[in-house]
Amino acid sequence: MNQPPPPRAWLLRLGTAGALLSMLAHGSRWWMLPLVLFLLVMGAGLLFVASFPYVAPFIYTAI
Amino acid sequence: MGLFRRAWLTVVSEVAWRIPGRPQRLLAAFALAERGSMLDMLSAVELTERRGLRKLYFRHALDEARHAALFAGRVRSLGAIGRAEAAIEDSGQLVEAGVVAGTTLFERLGEEEFLSFVYVAEADAVEQFEVLLARRLPDPETAATLHRILKDEHFHVSYARTEVERAAAAGRPMRRSMALHRWRRVGQAWLRFSSDFGALMGGFWLGLAYVVGVGPFRLLGRLEPGGWQRPERGGSSLAAARTEG
Amino acid sequence: MPSYVLGISGLYHDAAAVLLEDGKIVAAAQEERFSRLKHDAALPVRAAQYCLETAGIPVSRVDWLVFYEKPLRKFERIVSTAVATFPRSWRSFPRQMHHWLGDRLWLRANLTSAFGVSPERMMFCEHHLSHAASAFYCSPHDEAAILCVDGVGEWATTSLWRGSGSAIEPVSEVRWPHSIGLFYSAITAHLGFAVNEGEYKVMGMAAYGQPRFREEMSRLLRLDSEGGYSVDLDTFSWHWHPTEPATARLARLLGPPRFPGTPFTPRLDPLAQHHADVAASAQAATEEALLHLVRHAHAAVPAPALCLAGGVALNAVCNGRIAAEGPHAHLWVQPAAGDAGGAMGAAMWAWHGVLGNPRGPALRSCALGREVARDRTAELLADLGARFDDLGDDAPERAGRDLAEGKVVAWVDGREEWGPRALGQRSILADPRSAEVAERVNRSVKFREPFRPFAPSVRAGAAPRYFDIPAAAASTSRFMLSTHPVLPEAQAGLAAVTHVDGTARVQVVDADTSPRFDRLLGAFEEATGVPVLLNTSFNLKGEPLVSTPVDALAAFARSDLDTLYLNGFRVERMR
Repeated sequence: MNQPPPPRAWLLRLGTAGALLSMLAHGSRWWMLPLVLFLLVMGAGLLFVASFPYVAPFIYTAI
Repeated sequence: MGLFRRAWLTVVSEVAWRIPGRPQRLLAAFALAERGSMLDMLSAVELTERRGLRKLYFRHALDEARHAALFAGRVRSLGAIGRAEAAIEDSGQLVEAGVVAGTTLFERLGEEEFLSFVYVAEADAVEQFEVLLARRLPDPETAATLHRILKDEHFHVSYARTEVERAAAAGRPMRRSMALHRWRRVGQAWLRFSSDFGALMGGFWLGLAYVVGVGPFRLLGRLEPGGWQRPERGGSSLAAARTEG
Repeated sequence: MPSYVLGISGLYHDAAAVLLEDGKIVAAAQEERFSRLKHDAALPVRAAQYCLETAGIPVSRVDWLVFYEKPLRKFERIVSTAVATFPRSWRSFPRQMHHWLGDRLWLRANLTSAFGVSPERMMFCEHHLSHAASAFYCSPHDEAAILCVDGVGEWATTSLWRGSGSAIEPVSEVRWPHSIGLFYSAITAHLGFAVNEGEYKVMGMAAYGQPRFREEMSRLLRLDSEGGYSVDLDTFSWHWHPTEPATARLARLLGPPRFPGTPFTPRLDPLAQHHADVAASAQAATEEALLHLVRHAHAAVPAPALCLAGGVALNAVCNGRIAAEGPHAHLWVQPAAGDAGGAMGAAMWAWHGVLGNPRGPALRSCALGREVARDRTAELLADLGARFDDLGDDAPERAGRDLAEGKVVAWVDGREEWGPRALGQRSILADPRSAEVAERVNRSVKFREPFRPFAPSVRAGAAPRYFDIPAAAASTSRFMLSTHPVLPEAQAGLAAVTHVDGTARVQVVDADTSPRFDRLLGAFEEATGVPVLLNTSFNLKGEPLVSTPVDALAAFARSDLDTLYLNGFRVERMR
């Protein structure tokens, strides 16, 4: 599509993470907050490694 | 690269085709590749500016469809199981196996690059099938199927070579383009490995997260009861509509 | 300057895009028709591109992009379920998290990069609200009860809504993991068919069996006295197992599962008959459950009309029973009732429900997709060396005569259909009188299972002479969404389209909305005296409906069709 350049994906993801935590904090499943925070940190790691697909196997091995 | 590639193909084929159940998977992978190739060729029929090539692309597409059906037939005859069965039935497997992406090859490469890719890919397929037949690795019926398919593949190599040579004669850097395609195929194989390896390692870490992260919360979690419940909803205001996405 | 709303569904199955211009549908298309991957789940970039091209606008002119789900709610449900089912969910959790944390959770960023729409111009509609909107806003009814039944959205698996004017209000919902849609899918898997693909096959197979497992089914899918239901979570495992929707208890209860691809010969093979009985029992249980929900809906929202959506609303046999036995005077079902329809509902919800615009006219035709350009078609046919005639506007009459001669004809005309049903734009047509024709179409044209029935298309004025269609099904029968009895005296004359149980999923063709298809039926009637045709989707096994002339010619070349009509061109068989 003929499109304008999107804002930086990482900033948008950060916004999504914030919205998710806020949604949980204001709902009945607030107790899931620490678990979801933990998962988001792991997700950030996964996304970071996946953003270097050619060397990802080496990064995984190093970890 | 020719001799090295042939030696590599021989070693890999010798190992892979002798593992029980593996031939079904490999044939299913061939069926998927042929289906993907059919989609690429039909896209070429649609998009080509060279009307003289349309009929060749169309014939090529029909050949690929027939080959996919032949390979799928062999998978079924050999007793398809699990993933092999899914691979020949389910379109989603084409995406999962990386056979198709968001755009077709023709859209990505354009006419000349596409033709040089077709030449490289078809020549590789011919070489692979020839190795399998020379080493007598497939069962006799599958070998007969491969012989039938090889005839078509030779035709595909031949017309693609004619077009590539024509472009080279017009001063296009086709030799370089073909070399690039060969390396790109190696790169794609590495990326597939990287992705599979990533899924494996990610699975390991997330499995660990399940034990240490999810387990402690077990007593707080409960499944919803059956029956009608009162809905929890954010309403239809613009502010609510823009959230939770 | 007009306002544009782009509705998007995807990332599970049946991705689609729909564009509204000042609330009016400009174009609607499923991604599978472009990618050629059946049920394609990828974000529908090409379908959206087509919609924008049809409107003649760049993406920068789109005021709102509306996604048909709220992904953060869905993520909450997945994590919460993993906690509640610990440690049984140890296999599904890493898979789901890899998928979500690596990609799906970041939908706002992904939509921005795929469609080029700024995040400030995005809305997210709840999954079931998208379904509800797709049914209600497309219907002609100002007041209606709206019932949505599918596998699962965020939390809801079944939901009831009150539609009034431009407003849709929630009434009640049944939540995950209790789900009629997943119950039916689990039985589909038990019967050896692919989930999200083989449900139609279960429906077709059911007619060959007797519902002798009613009691077992009533334990699996329990109807309660409040008008709701629950499922047996000790037998089903879709909430904790990544691939198996049921535990071994299901086989203990219903007998051995059917191996995929096993030939189905019910009268010769006792095991096949057993599986037909299982299918019949599951279908009967689903019909009873749906009627139970519909009666509750009528009590909770006492409106004369019922709007249905969600994947289960594509169960034409259920719809037929709801129309015949349900309490509502009018039934309206979204033609793309599955997830594709969510794109339409999301866009309409934004336009009417959020932005407060008044309702427009009801959806009367499904011809909302790509059109075949005649000049491109002629060029293509010439390039491929096809033998063809340009019949122009006389094509319907010639096709009618070909059909009367017993030919099996592929008919491509105008804009392609929205939804899974071929309604005379991308159809394979044949003489409905002979069962041999049906067998030939199944065996060598569509290459599909012999037990699957074919649907008839009938001219509107003649429908009562052949089919017993209740008044409530007036709209569903226009879109081939409900099954009805073939009149006993007409069954022998419609052998190819009368299913083994004496019913047919009929399409009533209206000359106002489908003039050329009506003319084709008229030509066949003139030659044979029968205003009915066998109508099945123009696709080959495992592929989506054909879209372009290239798709049509490729399918034509690979099957045993006699003649192809391509927007006025008559193409002879290519050898």
